[in-house]
Amino acid sequence: MTPPPALSVAESLRPEQEPVDSKINRDLLQVMEGASAGYFLLLGATLLTVTAAALTWIYQIYIGLGIAGYTHPVFWGVYIVTFVFWVGIAHAGTLISAILYLFRAKWRNAINRSAESMTVFAVMTAGMFLGIHVGRIWKAYFILPYPNQRGLWVNFRSPLEWDTFAISTYATVSIVFLFIGLIPDIAIARDRARSWRKLLYTALALGWQGTSQQWKAHSRSVLHLSGLATPLVLSVHSVVSWDFAMSIVPGWHATIFAPYFVAGAIFSGFAMVLTVMIPVRRIFGLEEYITDYHFDNMGKFILLTSWIVGYAYVTEYFVAWYSGVEPEQTSFWLRAFGPYWFSTWTMIICNVGFPQLLWFRKVRTHVPTLFVISTFVNIGMWFERYVIIISGLSREYDPAVWGVYTPTWAELTILAGSFAFFAMLFLLFMKVLPVVAIYEVKELAIHERAVASEGAH
Amino acid sequence: MPSLQGIFDTPGPVAAAAKRLKNRGFTDLEIYAPAPFPELDDVLDPKPSRVRLFTLIGGLTGVVTGYAMTIWMSIDWPVMIGGKPFAAIPTYTIIGFELTILFGALATLLGLLLVGGLPYGSFGHHDKGYDVRFSAEEFGLVVGCRERDVAEVDALLRAHHAKEVNLVEG
Repeated sequence: MTPPPALSVAESLRPEQEPVDSKINRDLLQVMEGASAGYFLLLGATLLTVTAAALTWIYQIYIGLGIAGYTHPVFWGVYIVTFVFWVGIAHAGTLISAILYLFRAKWRNAINRSAESMTVFAVMTAGMFLGIHVGRIWKAYFILPYPNQRGLWVNFRSPLEWDTFAISTYATVSIVFLFIGLIPDIAIARDRARSWRKLLYTALALGWQGTSQQWKAHSRSVLHLSGLATPLVLSVHSVVSWDFAMSIVPGWHATIFAPYFVAGAIFSGFAMVLTVMIPVRRIFGLEEYITDYHFDNMGKFILLTSWIVGYAYVTEYFVAWYSGVEPEQTSFWLRAFGPYWFSTWTMIICNVGFPQLLWFRKVRTHVPTLFVISTFVNIGMWFERYVIIISGLSREYDPAVWGVYTPTWAELTILAGSFAFFAMLFLLFMKVLPVVAIYEVKELAIHERAVASEGAH
Repeated sequence: MPSLQGIFDTPGPVAAAAKRLKNRGFTDLEIYAPAPFPELDDVLDPKPSRVRLFTLIGGLTGVVTGYAMTIWMSIDWPVMIGGKPFAAIPTYTIIGFELTILFGALATLLGLLLVGGLPYGSFGHHDKGYDVRFSAEEFGLVVGCRERDVAEVDALLRAHHAKEVNLVEG
C-alpha cells in the first residue's frame, strides 16, 4: 500500500485553478443531467395518459365520431375547445420572445426559452386536435392546396382554410425561432458533453463557435424573426377567432372576437408559463436565474390581460343588449343562466375574479399563491372557449332545435391526454436541451461585469 | 504562420484591440464571444448584415406567392361560393400575409446559415484558435501574423487587458 502523495505546503496554499466552466453554464446545464425518481414517475404518468388517449383516438377512428358527445345542433365539442385552448397557450412564447425582444425588455431573457418551447409543444398539441376533430383523419390532407386528379382546389374564402395556413405557419416559425435561439446554447452543451450527447449536440450546433460573424448574423436573424413573429402571433389567434366570427351563430358573430381572442391567448399563455415554470424553478434550483422579479412582471401581464379579457366579456353582453337582436340577447342570457351557467361563472370567476389578487405585490411575489392563480386562469380559459363554442351552438336561432351537449369519456380522455402530451414533451425537452437561454443570461451578466470593470479602469 | 490568442473578460477591450490591430494592417482576425454584443458586431465587418436581404426577398416572395396562388387556383376551376368574386382579395390577404411571414422566416433561417457560415467546419472539429472557454464566459481575439510581428501583437493584446495570450500553433 502506497500512502497517498502528500501535498506540499506550496501546493495546498496555491489558489484553486480557475475552472474552465462558468457558474452560469454549470447551473443551467445541470438541469439536463441525471433525473430523479420523481421525474421518471411523472414522465411515466404522462406517458400512460398519452397512451390511453392515443388508444381512445384509434378507437374513435375505428368506430367513428359517434363516441364523442356530438348531438344536434352541437357538432363542435371538446376537441375544438381544446384546440383553441392550446393555440392560445402557444401565444405566450412568441410574445415573450418576439414582442418583449423588440421592446428590449431584458427580463424576458431568463424565461424566453421555456416559453418558446411551450409554444412549439402547444402548437403541436393543438394541431393534433384538428386531426382528432375531423373524424375521417385519412382525408385530412384534403385541406391542403395540392394538384389532384379531380382538378379542384381548396376554398380560400373559408376561415378553416385560413386557419390551416395560420397554424402551419405559426408552427413552422416557432420551430425556426426556437432552433435559432438554441444553436449557441447547444454549442455550449456540446463543449461539455460526452458520449451520445456529444454526437447529438455536435450535429445540432452546426459547428457554432461564436465568432463575431456568426453572432452578427444571429442577432440580425433574431431581430428579423421577432419582427415577423410579432404580427404573426397577433394574426394567429385572430384567424382562429374568425373561424367563429365569420359565421352567423349568435354569440360568435362579433367584430370584437379577434382582439378578444388574442388578449385571452396571451392571458392563458402567461398563466401556463407560470404554472410550468414555478415547479421547474423549485425542482432545479433556478431561483438565481428565474427570480421573483420575473414572476412579478408576469403577474402584472396576467393582471393587464385579465382586464382586457374582462372588458371583452362586458362588451359582449353590452353589444348583445344594445343590438336589440333577440337571438343574440337570448344566447347571452342563457350563457349565464341557461344549462351552461356553471362554465360561464367558472370562466368569469377564474379569469376576472382571482387575477384581481395580483394587484397586490405581496401576492405577485408569493410563489404558491401565484401558482394557484395561474392554474385557475388555465381552467378559466379552457371554460371560456367551452362557453363560447358550446353554449353558442346549443342555443341558435330556432328554439325547436336547441340541444344540450355533454362531453363523453372519449373526449375527456383525449383532453387529459393533451395535457399529458404537452407535459411529456416539456419533460423530455428539459433533459435534452437547455431550458433557460444560457447565452442570453450571460449577455446580461457580462454586460453588468463590463460596466463595473470599465468604470474601474 | 503563427496565431496569437488573447483571452479577455469583457467585450469592450476586445473591440478596442481588434480595431487597433485592423488599423495596423492585420487582416487575419477572429473574435470569439460567449454572447452577442453590439460593440463586437461591426469591428471586423462594418457593413450591415446581409441577413436582411434574405428576409426581404423571402417576405416579398411570400406575399406574391400567397396572392398568386389563391387567385390562380380560384380561377383555374371557378366555383361560385357565397356570391363572392373569384378573386376575393380581402380574404386572400390572410393567405398572402401568412405566406409573407412563412417565407420570410424560412429565408431568414437560410440567411443565418449562409451569412453566418453554418454549418461550419468538419464534424466535431474546431478552429485552432477556438477554446471551450469561449462558450463559458470569456472572449477571444485570435490574430494570425508573421513571426516577426508576434512580439508586437502580444504587447498590444496585453495592453488591452488580455488576461492571457497564447501562441496557437499555426
